Amino acid sequence: MLDKLTDPALVRRWGGEIPVRHRYTPGLAGEAFFTALRDRGVLLGSRCEACEYIYVPCRLFCERCFAELTADTEVGPGGTLESFAIGYVDVEGEPLDEPVTVGLVMPDGADAVLFHFIVEQGEEPLEIGMRVEVVLRPPGERTASILDIVGFQPAAG
Amino acid sequence: MTSGVAIVGVGHSGFSPIVAGLSYKELMFEAAQRAYDDAGVHPRRDVDSFVCCSEDFLEGTSIFDEYVPDQLGAVQRPVQTVSGDGLFGVATAVMLIRSGVARVVAVEAHSKASDIGSLGGIELFAMDPVLNRPLGVSPLAVAGLEMNAYLERTGLTEEHCAMVVAKNRRNALDNPRAAYPADVGERQVAESSPLFWPLKELEVARRADGCVVLVLASGELAPELTEAPVWVLGCGWSSGSASLESRTWGEADFVRRAADMAYGQAGIDDPSEVVDLAEVDDTFAFKELEHLEALRLAQAGEIAEMLESGEVETDGELPVNASGGSLGQGHLFEAGGLARTMECVEQLRGEAGQRQVEAVDVAVAQSWRGVPTTSAAVVVLGTGEG
Repeated sequence: MLDKLTDPALVRRWGGEIPVRHRYTPGLAGEAFFTALRDRGVLLGSRCEACEYIYVPCRLFCERCFAELTADTEVGPGGTLESFAIGYVDVEGEPLDEPVTVGLVMPDGADAVLFHFIVEQGEEPLEIGMRVEVVLRPPGERTASILDIVGFQPAAG
Repeated sequence: MTSGVAIVGVGHSGFSPIVAGLSYKELMFEAAQRAYDDAGVHPRRDVDSFVCCSEDFLEGTSIFDEYVPDQLGAVQRPVQTVSGDGLFGVATAVMLIRSGVARVVAVEAHSKASDIGSLGGIELFAMDPVLNRPLGVSPLAVAGLEMNAYLERTGLTEEHCAMVVAKNRRNALDNPRAAYPADVGERQVAESSPLFWPLKELEVARRADGCVVLVLASGELAPELTEAPVWVLGCGWSSGSASLESRTWGEADFVRRAADMAYGQAGIDDPSEVVDLAEVDDTFAFKELEHLEALRLAQAGEIAEMLESGEVETDGELPVNASGGSLGQGHLFEAGGLARTMECVEQLRGEAGQRQVEAVDVAVAQSWRGVPTTSAAVVVLGTGEG
């Protein structure tokens, strides 16, 4: 029989890393969404007629009824804040220098939400249900990425 | 009604913040030894099939299922790995037995979380790589957003979540295997560091090392193996949408569907009338409340009263996480569902010691795979065949 160690200093452990590299294909719907975002500055969605549900970002298929969809429905740029949360830690749990606010925003005309930063908050506290609007990078700085969206800010007025 | 399958043995190891010195294989061996001993079976002779539940990235090994047979006595035998919580393994075992493929099945899940050097990175890599990961925020954001949406919908408050933490950590004081027993005040919870407000540090279950092995047997064989078979009355599972964009926020609809599947098999119309004990996922404190509602054990409007009146305490009408839950026992990753099932088995056998709940005939265990997932499984267990 092997006795268990009682001195933690005697525990031996080997280090290891998994070097993982990947290239993710956004697909037909992803191309349409990111191209529309970069070139026209619009949020592109997909309508499922059967489900009466508008997805954003657009997608090739309905997850509710399995219908094939097209990317033809523009939504936003205004929207409603469905939830928000204020982050104080980074991915590994270390404190952030500055808190970061993220939110779920349902763009006008859509039934789905976008997960993104809430920026330029001003003095008013955030509230679920408040009006917000999308903030985009200037046209020349966009790269067809979700980061072409800077975030959402409380709507003026 | 019954599935014709019973749990005839349970065993565990670890349940400690760090199990230093033991490899994950040795943790599994120890839990398996205990489970086989409890069931009175030998793996090389009596167990027909083995199911493990694990996730490669958490193990730090690609194709991890290759590394599980030897420490379970499963070499040269049918073994399969389910990439999911242990309750999905229980579902697989029930199907193996009901289909006649096996008469005795061992189900295993473990956590060697203390070996993981980059848990945050692994969780970040569970986020959609194109839409969500580029933001570079902690996946705890998903929990914070869900908590805020849940509290908004139900009118429940951060104080109610703090009551869950206090209850579960206190319940863990009566559980000798719990990793994080403590007398924590609700104020301490409220004052703990915000991680992703409204989610705070003490509302998040802390990780632990541990392993659970269950032995399941067919209805014909179970009474020969044990005097106290615990019957699987129903077992259900469901996934919601992986997409943060199109999932349901503020309620666990996937838990509801998993529960309805399990209750349907058990012939239970109104679980709140029948269930004597619930062990539910409390990876985050608010999740316990959200899951109770999804399990149809409470209406959202009743939850505040249930917490305040003590109904969910160990001596209450519906004890919830008498074990201490994940907040008290430790977050065991894919072994969480099996830990809750083991607690239900011990309670149904009357072997739960100081935390024994009186008159338990039907118990429910539920699992959730954590952020950012929407996968859940539910098992309904009973002392009678149903």
